[in-house]
Amino acid sequence: MILLYGVNHQSAPLDLRERLAVPEGELGPAVARLISGGGLDEGLILSTCNRTEILARGSGAASAETLKLFLQGRGGVQAAELDRHAYLHVERDAVRHLFRVASSLDSMIVGEPQILGQLKDAYAAAQAAGGLKTVLESLLQRAFAVAKKVRNETGIARAPVSIAHAAVVRAREIFGDLTGRAVLIVGAGKMARIAAQHITAGGVGSCTVVNRSYQRGSELALELGGEALSWDRMPEVLERADIVIVSTGAPHHVVTREDAQRVSRARRGRPVFFLDIAVPRNVDPRVHDLENVYLYDIDDLKDVADAGLRERHAEARLAEAMVDREAGAYLEWLRALEVDPTIVALRDHLHALGTAELDRFRGRLGDLTPEQRRVVEEFGASLMNKVLHHPILALKRSALRPGAGQLVAFLREAFGLEGSRPEDERRPAPDSPAPERSARDRS
Amino acid sequence: MDWALVVLRAALFFYAAGFVSALAALWGGPRGFSRVTPWLAGVGAVCHTLALFLLGGTLGRCPLGTLPEVLSAVAWASVVVTLAAWWRFRAEVLMLVILPLAIVVLSIAKVAPGEMLPVPETLRLPIGRFHIAAVVLGVAALTVTFAASLIYVVVDRALKAKRPARFFRALPSLEGCDRIGHLSLMCAFPLLTLGIVTGAIYSESLTGSPWTWQQREILAILSWIILGVVVVARLGWGWRGRRAALLTILGFGLVFLRLLGIS
Repeated sequence: MILLYGVNHQSAPLDLRERLAVPEGELGPAVARLISGGGLDEGLILSTCNRTEILARGSGAASAETLKLFLQGRGGVQAAELDRHAYLHVERDAVRHLFRVASSLDSMIVGEPQILGQLKDAYAAAQAAGGLKTVLESLLQRAFAVAKKVRNETGIARAPVSIAHAAVVRAREIFGDLTGRAVLIVGAGKMARIAAQHITAGGVGSCTVVNRSYQRGSELALELGGEALSWDRMPEVLERADIVIVSTGAPHHVVTREDAQRVSRARRGRPVFFLDIAVPRNVDPRVHDLENVYLYDIDDLKDVADAGLRERHAEARLAEAMVDREAGAYLEWLRALEVDPTIVALRDHLHALGTAELDRFRGRLGDLTPEQRRVVEEFGASLMNKVLHHPILALKRSALRPGAGQLVAFLREAFGLEGSRPEDERRPAPDSPAPERSARDRS
Repeated sequence: MDWALVVLRAALFFYAAGFVSALAALWGGPRGFSRVTPWLAGVGAVCHTLALFLLGGTLGRCPLGTLPEVLSAVAWASVVVTLAAWWRFRAEVLMLVILPLAIVVLSIAKVAPGEMLPVPETLRLPIGRFHIAAVVLGVAALTVTFAASLIYVVVDRALKAKRPARFFRALPSLEGCDRIGHLSLMCAFPLLTLGIVTGAIYSESLTGSPWTWQQREILAILSWIILGVVVVARLGWGWRGRRAALLTILGFGLVFLRLLGIS
């Protein structure tokens, strides 16, 4: 049974999440401890600032209890407190939840890209600690594939959702590629720094910082790989800049309408993009009315980001349906995986029995013509097929429902099929090409 | 059955399909729509090429003699030049302007060799043939300039209105529009100049005077002056932006009027 137990930003307050968090370096040892405790065959721990979740495979209610005790022990948390905030997902719900997490549908900001990297780290740690065998290994691989598919086929990660990202998107709408563009940063405060980092991240032509305090300006310039200039040279660099980020602590307009008009004229119709992220505003709002001058302040960018968030939520509905389908498909594949080898083993076993019995009776049957021998062999084979017909049908039907494992275990015991449970053997991943299926049937 | 007409209808159908998919892409449809648009236009252009050849075969001459024939050729060349621009700049949205224009022009120009007209005067002299070829190619390139300028104005308005990001996804950047417009204008203007010069020579060889103060000649010179101002300002002065786009749109409008006034 696949289980998922844990807390996330929706179910638990930050204080509890902090106590339950597993630092990245401790993920491996924690997984090793988890599965060495018994009752669980496989395990993985995902721990970020927004969630701590344990994905495991075990059997029955005892495994759920193991998971709970494990988290309780880690955080020094009361059982009642954990009960209030933690969730337990089983089988299809667990698979769906994992797929939602991997696809960033369960994130605080839908579509954010970090979670997939964090899940991959958790996967690597669990793998190194020996926590992953057939089932969770295939489940994680499928989760990565689903995340990629969701990202490519829906728009959950497309629209900008932060002010800085919205600024970059707007700049691209004006200039296309930003490489080769001249960026001017007026002010060296925190907001200016964040916006400048985003804008220059993909590479720009030049980057100039102008600040009242030259010292702070040159620090930011150094960080961005640009140059710092003294405050009085602003008018001159203003004309050359394509993108101007303004964020000073000044309570008045640092860029006036006249400044912008002069810039607009000097640029002969080439567009210029002013980003005013200061509060109170540093650029005269009337600048936006000038031809080929585009001014966006913090509220405008927030509108863009809000619209982006709404768009992502709309796209998330598509993604939810996709994830739901994928979870169903994965479980079907997994159950067929348990059932298929049992069917093959049953057939092989009974036909081997038939052949052995025929050999034993051959002496007592006397000399048979080839024709007679063929009839006897056919009789044996036909009888075995009749005996197997309903068990195999039941197995195939069970593959579509939960609880296939019980029927598999019962039939293996009833027919005396020795060997381990089929799922402990290495199996090809669900996306593998067809030939491997026949390889599986033979095993 | 008149095959030229059948193939031309097929071309119209594919142009219309390309236009619909370009619209769907703009309306926020799946990304597949914007990918399929150039291919639909491409199939349309292939059909259109075939139609021109079939028509030429039926007429027994180059199908550039009458106004409908020239209009059809202009529509064809515009789509081909747009496809080339798409290959270079990947701006599917150009199709959104060009394809409906091609559809309208083709619908105006019911190009069917219904009555067998005598070989038109223009095509008898080499200079006349040269004149028509230059005009057709020049107008085709200018159509792309027009489309890029129109999109520039639309994107500029949207940026001024502070529209949400979703609106822009299918559109090229402001500077991207300007670059496409700039390059295509630099191709179009020399061709149109050549068209006017050869037209004057042809007119002189026919009437003895290069300039006859006809309406279409005035329109041609007026549009040439407007476009010339844009070209000189762009090259000599580095002029860009919204006003350059608006003036280009005006120039194209006059060229188009003059084209309709050929007959």
